Amino acid sequence: MRIDIEDLHVAYAGRTVVAGAHLIAAEGEITGLVGPNGSGKSTLLRTVYRHLKPAAGRVRLAGTDLRELSPAESARHVAALPQERGSDFELSVREVVAMGRTPYKRAFAGEDATDRDIVARALADVGMDEQAGRRFTALSGGERQRVLLARAFAQSPDVLVLDEPTNHLDIRHQVGLLALLRAQRRTTLVSLHDLNAAASVCDRLHVLHAGSVVASGSPREVLTPALMAQVFGVRAAVVDHPLTGDPLIAFDHRAPADAEPRAPRRPLP
Amino acid sequence: MPSTLVRRKASAPEERSLPATPLAVVLAVALPAALTAAVAWGSTSIPPGEVWGVVWRRLSGEAPRPGTNDLIVWQLRVPRALLAALVGAGLGVVGTAVQALVRNPLADPYLLGISNGASLGAVVAIVLGLGAGGALGLGLSGAAFAGALAAFALVWAVARRGGGFAPLRLVLAGVAIGQFLSGFTSYLVLQAGDEQQTHSVLFWLMGSLSGANWQMLAVPAVAVPVALLWLQARARGLNALLMGDETAAGLGVDVTRLRRELFAVTSVLTGVLVAVSGAIAFVALMVPHVCRLIVGGDHRRLLPVSALFGAVLLVVVDIVCRTAMDTQELPVGVVTSLLGAPALLYLLDRRLGSGS
Repeated sequence: MRIDIEDLHVAYAGRTVVAGAHLIAAEGEITGLVGPNGSGKSTLLRTVYRHLKPAAGRVRLAGTDLRELSPAESARHVAALPQERGSDFELSVREVVAMGRTPYKRAFAGEDATDRDIVARALADVGMDEQAGRRFTALSGGERQRVLLARAFAQSPDVLVLDEPTNHLDIRHQVGLLALLRAQRRTTLVSLHDLNAAASVCDRLHVLHAGSVVASGSPREVLTPALMAQVFGVRAAVVDHPLTGDPLIAFDHRAPADAEPRAPRRPLP
Repeated sequence: MPSTLVRRKASAPEERSLPATPLAVVLAVALPAALTAAVAWGSTSIPPGEVWGVVWRRLSGEAPRPGTNDLIVWQLRVPRALLAALVGAGLGVVGTAVQALVRNPLADPYLLGISNGASLGAVVAIVLGLGAGGALGLGLSGAAFAGALAAFALVWAVARRGGGFAPLRLVLAGVAIGQFLSGFTSYLVLQAGDEQQTHSVLFWLMGSLSGANWQMLAVPAVAVPVALLWLQARARGLNALLMGDETAAGLGVDVTRLRRELFAVTSVLTGVLVAVSGAIAFVALMVPHVCRLIVGGDHRRLLPVSALFGAVLLVVVDIVCRTAMDTQELPVGVVTSLLGAPALLYLLDRRLGSGS
C-alpha cells in the first residue's frame, strides 16, 4: 500500500510544524525522511499513525483519506514505532508484542490461535523468541527496540512507520535493525538522523526543512554538498562508499558551512 | 536479527512466577472464607455454622431463630464485611485504572484530588450537623459524593486547559486542587470546636467501615461491578496506554477519549468509595502494584485479580481493626497506613534494586 501526503499542514503545541509537505511512500519501498532537528519529521510521521490530526491537507492510504477510516481500521494497515520506550509496568516481552493485535480485537476477546501464531512469528523475526517470558524493562536498549519492532510486525501492517528507530542504539544494533527492515520488503516510511544510514538503506529520500519537503529523489540525487550546506548548514563531500558503492557523506566536523573559509592547517613554528 | 547475535537464555527470576488463573481461583475461595471469618470474629464470637445458618434463614425468608445472634450477624457484621469487600475491590480497581491513566505504577486515586473533595464535603456535612440523618436526604455520604464530583469538575477544568489530559498535567492539577481543598478541611476542623464533632471528622478522614449498614451497600454494589466491567472491556486500550500515547494511537486507540472517560469513571468510583468509607489510605496504591508483581501488567488479568485481592485484603484488615484493641476499634485507614507504608518502602527498594 502506498502513502500519499498532500499539502500537509500540522500544528503541534500551538506552532505550525509541518507547512505544506508533499511526499509519496511507494509500495514495497523504504522511504526515508531526513532533515535537521525541528524540521517536522516526527510531527509528519505522527499524523501518519494518527497521533496528530492534520490542520490542512491529507494523508492518503492507498488512495483513501485516513480520516475516512476509524482509528482501529487504519491501525490494521499502518503500524508505528514511535520514539517512546514504554514504562515499568511489569509487562513481559510477549505481552508487549501481543499488543500489536489490539486493532483486531473486540472488547473482552481473548487471543486465538492466529494471534498466537502471528506473535510467535514476530518474535522469531526479530530473534527474541527465546526471551518471550522476560520482563520488558529488564532488556537492553537494543533488545527493547527489537521487541517494539516485533510489536509493530504483530500488527500485520501494510505500512511501517518508524521514527528514528536507530536512536540510542550502538552501531551493531543499528546495522542489525536496518538490515531487518530491508529484509521485510514492506512499504516503510522512516525518519533517520544518520544520513549515511539513510543513504544506504532507503530507496528514496525526502528532505524536510522548516516543515516542507525541499528535495526528493534517490539518495544519490538528494544528498549533495549543496544541500548539506543549505539545509543542514555543514560542509561535506559526497564520495562512493568503498565497500558498498552507496553515496558516503564525509562531513567537515571542524566548521559549519557559513564559517569563514579557513586556511589549511599549518605546522606550528 | 542476524543469527550471529548472541541469544541469551531467559533467566528464571524474570519469568512470571504465577499464572493468573490459579491465583484468581485461590482468591475466589479466600473471599468467602474471609467474609465468614469477619462475621464470626468479634467481641462476641459466633461459630461459622451459626453465621451461615442466620444468613440462610434470612435469605430464604424464614423467621430468625430466637436466642441466636441474628441481629449481630445480619444487621451489623454481614453488611460491614460486605462493605469491606466492595470497598476493597473498588479500591483495587480504581488504583489499577489511575495507574494506567497517569502512566505511573505508584499513583493512586487520591493523587487526583478527588478524595480531598469528598473529605471536604463530608466535613462540611458533619460541621453543619447534616451527618446524623439525612437533611435533604443527603447525609454524610451524599455530601462526600457531592464534594468528590466538585473536585473532579475542578481538576477536569484545570487539566483540560492546554488541550488533552496529559498525565503530568492531570497529576499537577489533582495535587494542587487536592491541597487547596484539604486546607479548607483543616480550617473547618479547627473551627468546629466541638470535641465530638472533631472526633467524628477525624475518624472519617482516616477511613472507617464502622458505620456500615445495608442501605450503604446499594450504590457501591452497583458502581464497583459496572466500573470493573467497563474497564475490562477496555483492557487492551489500558495496556496500550502503558507504552505511551503515541504507541497507543498507532495501535488504533483514541487516546484522548479513553483518558477522558477513564478520568470520569475513576472519579465517580472514588467518590462512591470515599462516600461510604472515608479516605482509606494505601489500598488503591498497593493492591494493583502487588498484583502486578504476581500476575504481570496485562490489564485483562490485572483488573479482576486486583478486585479480588483488594476485597480479601480489606475484609481481613477490618477484622484486625475490630479485634486488635479491647476497648475501641481502630479506623481501617490507620491499619492500612501502618501496613501500607512499610510495604511501599519495600516495593520502592525492590524497584531501585532491580535497576529500573
